[in-house]
Amino acid sequence: MSTDSKRSFGIFRKNSELQTVVTISVFFIAAVLLYQIVNSLLNTGTIQYPSFIYPSNILNILQQNAAVGIMALGMTVIMLTGTIDLSVGMMTSLVAIFIAKAVMDWAISPAMAVIYAILICIGLEMIMGSIISWLNVESFIITLGGMISCRGIALLISNSQEVAMRQNLAWFKANVFDWFNPEGVKMFGLKLNLPYYVIIFFILAAITWAMLKYTKFGRRIYAIGNNPQAAFLSGVNVKFTRLMAFVFNGICVGIGATMQLVRVNTGIITVGQNMEIDVIAAVVIGGVVMSGGKGSVIGAFIGALLMGTITNAMTIMRIQQEWQFLVKGIIIIAAVAGGALSEILRRRNALLLRRKDADQAQISAKA
Amino acid sequence: MKDAFFRLINISKTFPGVRALSNIDFDLMPGEIHCICGENGAGKSTLIKILSGAYQPDPGGAIEFEGRKRTLTPRLAIELGIQTIYQEHNIFPHLSVTENIFAGLEIMKGLRVDFDAMRKKARETLDYLHCNFGPDAIAGELSSGERKLVEIAKALVFQRKVIILDEPTASFSVSEIDMLLDVVRKVVSAGIAVVYISHHLDEVFRLGGRVTVLRDGEHVLTAHSTNLTEGELVRNMVGRDVSAFYSRDFFEQGEIALEARNLSGNGVRDISFKAHRGQCLGFAGMVGSGRSELMTLLMGGAKKDAGQVLVDGQEVDFHLPSAAIRRKMCYITEDRQYTGLFLKHSIARNSFVANLVNMKEAFISPREDYAVGEKYIKELGTKAENADVLVGNLSGGNQQKVVLAKWFHTHGDIYIFDEPTRGIDVGAKTEIYHIMMDLMRQGKCLIMASSDMPEIVSMSDRVIVMKNGRIAGELERGEISEESILSYSIGGVAV
Repeated sequence: MSTDSKRSFGIFRKNSELQTVVTISVFFIAAVLLYQIVNSLLNTGTIQYPSFIYPSNILNILQQNAAVGIMALGMTVIMLTGTIDLSVGMMTSLVAIFIAKAVMDWAISPAMAVIYAILICIGLEMIMGSIISWLNVESFIITLGGMISCRGIALLISNSQEVAMRQNLAWFKANVFDWFNPEGVKMFGLKLNLPYYVIIFFILAAITWAMLKYTKFGRRIYAIGNNPQAAFLSGVNVKFTRLMAFVFNGICVGIGATMQLVRVNTGIITVGQNMEIDVIAAVVIGGVVMSGGKGSVIGAFIGALLMGTITNAMTIMRIQQEWQFLVKGIIIIAAVAGGALSEILRRRNALLLRRKDADQAQISAKA
Repeated sequence: MKDAFFRLINISKTFPGVRALSNIDFDLMPGEIHCICGENGAGKSTLIKILSGAYQPDPGGAIEFEGRKRTLTPRLAIELGIQTIYQEHNIFPHLSVTENIFAGLEIMKGLRVDFDAMRKKARETLDYLHCNFGPDAIAGELSSGERKLVEIAKALVFQRKVIILDEPTASFSVSEIDMLLDVVRKVVSAGIAVVYISHHLDEVFRLGGRVTVLRDGEHVLTAHSTNLTEGELVRNMVGRDVSAFYSRDFFEQGEIALEARNLSGNGVRDISFKAHRGQCLGFAGMVGSGRSELMTLLMGGAKKDAGQVLVDGQEVDFHLPSAAIRRKMCYITEDRQYTGLFLKHSIARNSFVANLVNMKEAFISPREDYAVGEKYIKELGTKAENADVLVGNLSGGNQQKVVLAKWFHTHGDIYIFDEPTRGIDVGAKTEIYHIMMDLMRQGKCLIMASSDMPEIVSMSDRVIVMKNGRIAGELERGEISEESILSYSIGGVAV
């Protein structure tokens, strides 16, 4: 009897990492759909297909959040090692301005500018990562310094002005559906738009997932996040692995920044402003713990899309931006607090179960 | 003779599975020095924690202070005037000596802290103790000996009646020991009673006063130190039931697998030894003698200052533990939870992690680690549902088996065990010993650091005794006994 209950308990635990984020997503989507259906019933007296789940809108959500999503992948790796990177937002602004400036003023080809941008991100992350790993200092503070410095460099190279581009990076947002029909594919009377960069996001997410799950590097990332001393004595080069996590994050930030620039088409300091907040929020909602060693890319992936979905849904429902902030904030708090609460309850159940087993053992021993 | 004012009557303390103290009587007279001696695990720390109110004794005993029965809590103990100075420093390193002395008990002048009065009081006390630092010195910049004096000064300032010193001289230099003993004598002459716990018997004899010996949680004797010799004291500290020992098989001595020549670094100095295949080389010594530090150094976990390490006759220089693992070395660390395991991860992941270094391919095929985890669960008899169980949910003995699985999967040849059975119940202990014996049978080389006397005596083929980071003595199979080990680790006395 006890064996069975333990087994079911084991399955429960295994899924618990994703449980919170999935629960919140399902409830949120259900609530939005209900609202739209009731609304259409009251207004027109018929049930209409909710515009929230029009294919065009779903693709819209993906478009709006691909950049944050990609950066959430890098942040997941960083946070799994037990560190954090606050500089990703300002680094996005920096390289967005760099690309715009390079293409418009310095006559560098767009492709090269993007490659340089990614290299710059890797370089900056390597500097911060080396300081954090080898001097063993708080990543929070080092990357806070990095964030402020990036802002400074960005403003310096742009003379505090915006640099408008002329669709030089249009390839990135070429529509996948144009392959099927150059006139555009329509559903529900709306043109479907799936830019290449969304595909890049999916591919990168899959790569990151596989990397964390099925490579030595991934195992080491989890190990140093959970217990750096044990990892060190088990033959993991903690400093090098942590540095590599920052390098990976650099790649993600470089690509994410390019996408963000493609969408706004202007190199300006606000491109990446406060992006680190969205990125960290997505990762945390996805169940990656701040102390490291626990969490998954799938969680962060869902977390990033959930954050975007919230904004999108509330815009469709014509809720003011002020309220949107409040709702987002509450959802972050609820996600983390709810996760912790279910963990406490689970522990208590496990303890009761163990006590019951022990009592049973005692009774059977006596008999 | 003066009357005792602080008495423990028939005190026992039971932890789940362990009886740490049984029926102890202990008393303390005003202005006396009372030393407590015993091996590691004899119950000294538990006794201190009962004296200071940190632990509540089992029902049935009584604590009397100045003629009244008391239930001590840490707070009440301090109010009664009992100050415990623990081994680890309880100081605030960024604050001044004055602030440390008065922390939480500041002298107030209205709503303002009266800093001048506090400094004056602190200076008087420091002068009385002949301290060579002032009240404004920053505590973190003082030596470990001086920090102890700050804590003693605190006891004097607040006119405590009892000072309990737990291993005060661990990591002290010789001059600091002299300084501390002088201060203790001075404190006693001021009428304060001192309970002094030390591994170092010479300190006990230099202080004079009464001595209480504990062994395996039981009271062995209380006598005045002038009526005792060091030999008698050691004999009283050892002497156990034969049942406490594990009888093992012995195997033929193989090649030398690991050798150290004048190795120094990480707090140990000038270590030389040869460890053979098919045998277990024990490292004994009191807590703080440098055993674990040596093990970490051998594994490449700390920087080597001088000397050589040879694996299979070849000189090696490990900068990182990963290099040692490649040379087939394994390190079962002292503290499973902090340096051995990944508690948030599954058995499978834990079993897999150390061998990552030896893996040629960068990719891990799905469930490869699960198979490894399952394999060692069966092989080692780990009590777990399956390899997906989180290690944090296992008992101590089963956690230790996961640590072993982690290293077995590296297919190592040289096994360094640091406290292999600490915090493990008796049944699991025997299983671990069986596993260790199997390793020796397979011709592996075992090195074991342990403070568990029966373990060292019964498992080792040879024993090296360490003291203050150096080798104090070496014992061959016939010479290994609790007494011979203790006489080396406490101070070169012939017993």
